[in-house]
Amino acid sequence: MKKSVKLIMFAAIFAVGIGEAVSAKTDEVTLIFAAYTVPKEVYQREIIPAFQKYWKEKTGQAVKFDESYEASGAQSRAIAAGLEADIAALSLEKDINRLKDGGLITHDWKDNNYKGFVTNSLTVIAYRPGNPKDIKGWEDLARQNVDVIYPSPKTSGGAMWAINAIYGAGLKMSEIKTGKKDYASARQLLKSIQKRVKVMDKSGRLAVTTFENGIGDVLVTYEDEALLRQKQGKEFPFLTPESTILIENPIALIDKNVDKHQTRKVAEAFVEFAHSKEAQRLFAQYGLRPVNEEVAREFAAKYPAPKYLFNINYLGGWNQVENEIYGKNGVWTKIIEESER
Amino acid sequence: MNGRASPSNRATNSDLVLRSLSFGYIGLLIVLPIIAMVVRSLEGGLAALWADMTLPPAIYSLKLTISTALIMVAINVVTGTATAWVLVRYSFPGKNLMNALIDLPFAMPTIVTGIMLVAVYGPRSMIGGFFQRYGYEIMFNKPGIILALMFVTFPFVVRAVQPVLIEMDKDMEEAARTLGASSVTIFLRVVIPSLLPSILTGAALSFSRALGEFGSIIMVAGNIPFKTQVASVYIYGEIESYNPQGALGLSVVLLLFSFVTLMVINVLQYWSRRHEKN
Repeated sequence: MKKSVKLIMFAAIFAVGIGEAVSAKTDEVTLIFAAYTVPKEVYQREIIPAFQKYWKEKTGQAVKFDESYEASGAQSRAIAAGLEADIAALSLEKDINRLKDGGLITHDWKDNNYKGFVTNSLTVIAYRPGNPKDIKGWEDLARQNVDVIYPSPKTSGGAMWAINAIYGAGLKMSEIKTGKKDYASARQLLKSIQKRVKVMDKSGRLAVTTFENGIGDVLVTYEDEALLRQKQGKEFPFLTPESTILIENPIALIDKNVDKHQTRKVAEAFVEFAHSKEAQRLFAQYGLRPVNEEVAREFAAKYPAPKYLFNINYLGGWNQVENEIYGKNGVWTKIIEESER
Repeated sequence: MNGRASPSNRATNSDLVLRSLSFGYIGLLIVLPIIAMVVRSLEGGLAALWADMTLPPAIYSLKLTISTALIMVAINVVTGTATAWVLVRYSFPGKNLMNALIDLPFAMPTIVTGIMLVAVYGPRSMIGGFFQRYGYEIMFNKPGIILALMFVTFPFVVRAVQPVLIEMDKDMEEAARTLGASSVTIFLRVVIPSLLPSILTGAALSFSRALGEFGSIIMVAGNIPFKTQVASVYIYGEIESYNPQGALGLSVVLLLFSFVTLMVINVLQYWSRRHEKN
């Protein structure tokens, strides 16, 4: 008799507990957010808190964020291998495409006003204070007395942007001079710069650390990375080459995971929020170029367009770049093999 | 390990359970992953595996790994034996501290080792800056790799030689001395031969450990293919760029090297046991 009373009491307490847990769940939702390393500061300090405030006011629901920041390729692989991210903000389109090919993203993520991108940037050249080696453009990186740092394209998205920028700038300059793309001279430019590379770190962030440790005369990096260092009060001079690549960073919600977590609505709202004027201004303050045209106009003075800017399509798009530059017989792969002799 | 308990032939049930448990555990923990890797590497066929193993950057990285490991072993054999000698044969203040410090490289995360080495020998440091002025690079070049390996594997030779030295009979040395042998002769003809098996064991262990070193090397080498990229960093790069097949090829080679080294160690231990008996 006594035993059964205890049992009922226990069951009652348990039921109340469950009820509480369920009601708590509707008041709070968790988003798993996976991004590449460079925009960590702006997401962590600005975008995410601003969205939490916005969503709470709009719906009364609190959003908790589980954040992960890793090199773009590593992040993409982690998600493909089972990291249940609801949203991925990565450095390169091809890292999102990999998730689409793997069946994790089922919607057409490029079908919006911004073609799936959330921020832009440029590949730039950082140099030592006072510019002791008199660096003015890509050609100077090929000089015998200049040591160059950029990470390994095997592991780093930033390195791919660097190499794409150099190779594409070579093509662009030859096109301007002679009227047609000269692949041989672009290859020669990339080869002579690759020869000057001193250290190839595994990520863009690590390459900055190496450069700050005193190694190398120049660092090929993201414009937003350099601007962020300046924002932090560090002396970090850089130049934008006359011809360089427009870096376009994608963001996408991951269908399979949002459906599993039942977070589609809030995830969609976050992606939309990241494109809002408020968020775009925050990005712009942290060194990333806004994709929203109105905000871009506001910041036009901070972000002048280089004379001969091109984007990935100038090189034929990511699929072609992956094959023709980094594939088994790609330009960069062959240049590395030739360095054996 | 010397006084072997005589194993009884009649195993009780609990013995059998224990035995199969430990076999099963080792099988799951160690053998299964190895088998899985070998199977995976053979998925594309032997020819493809061979092609992956013999890619020029893979071969270069393997050569660099082995050559830097061998230089490290040569240095560690001398410094490790000397350190063990000092620790066993002399008594001095701070000896216990020194003895404890030797194991520090084992306890330390290797990436921390890399950071420390860059701090000491990097171009911004006093030592690194001094060498750079005269045109020598330590960090981000081969000397950096060797330094990192020396640091990470230092305890092996010391800890292999030390116990043998402690147990070594001084009678033979004294006998040699009474027969008129010089200290050098005694060291070379009496001490070294009896230490040799343990020195070689330590050397083999450090070599094997050096083949797979990653954490410190990725910090101190430049990681440039055909210049400063070692095997483990090459494997990491292939994995990261979605070429697991290419990574498996070189992984199998490293595994084979470890197996051979392990066999050498076992032969050495057998040899040293026989040496002790005589």
